[in-house]
Amino acid sequence: MERSQITITIALISIALFTISIFGFAIGFANDNEASMSITDDPNVAQLNTDTSSDISTFKNDSEDTYQSILDTTIEPGSDVAQSTGSFSISVGNIVGVIKNIVYLPYQTIFGSGSGFGIFFTTFLAFLVFFVGLLIYKTLRGNP
Amino acid sequence: MFLDYLYNLPNSTEGIDAIALETINIFPGLVPMLLLFVFLVVFIGGSTRQKITRGSGDYAAWALIASIATLLPALLFSITAGFIQLDWLIIVVSLNILSAIWFFLDKRITEV
Repeated sequence: MERSQITITIALISIALFTISIFGFAIGFANDNEASMSITDDPNVAQLNTDTSSDISTFKNDSEDTYQSILDTTIEPGSDVAQSTGSFSISVGNIVGVIKNIVYLPYQTIFGSGSGFGIFFTTFLAFLVFFVGLLIYKTLRGNP
Repeated sequence: MFLDYLYNLPNSTEGIDAIALETINIFPGLVPMLLLFVFLVVFIGGSTRQKITRGSGDYAAWALIASIATLLPALLFSITAGFIQLDWLIIVVSLNILSAIWFFLDKRITEV
């Protein structure tokens, strides 16, 4: 089975988010229960946690820029496809914002205001935005 | 004495924590073997059961489920000092990450 770009991107982002969530869960468990040892006692784990978080933050910013550039894409007149992605781009970004606002209260209640899971959640939404943008691009122009 | 023990019996008047800690002091491999038992029961049991019912087992997904099931008792053991070594906790977390990589890069479409 051929692996597509979206499939690979989903896999890589999922691995990074899973790693962050496992670390966040273990560290939060140790903090909440005043455990005698935490996985952050190991310097390598703490370093990996920081590195993965910064990687994910970079991806979040990059995907937002990519999505914006995809929305700004135009196609030369004369082809049989739509000339801009305007018809797709009217509400997608707003819908993601609405969802983020709606789930803010349950998120705050369950996960608290710490930054550990905030990275997870924001990146997941950014990935959805990137995913939608890529689908729009592939719809209009085929595989990049 | 009719029963000659190979080790000193733990003092059972100090609660069940003391019994477990003394047992682990005598045999340090108890916790890692317990974690291995949890992992293998979930992994082999789940994938075999799925193979019987569906015809094929989704080993990557069951490895991920089994490693998460192993992480939970490992984290519980980490609350009290002396139950589990930090190395074993890190190994369990690493096992989680490795099985997640296997699961997410697995070619088959998982249904779990």
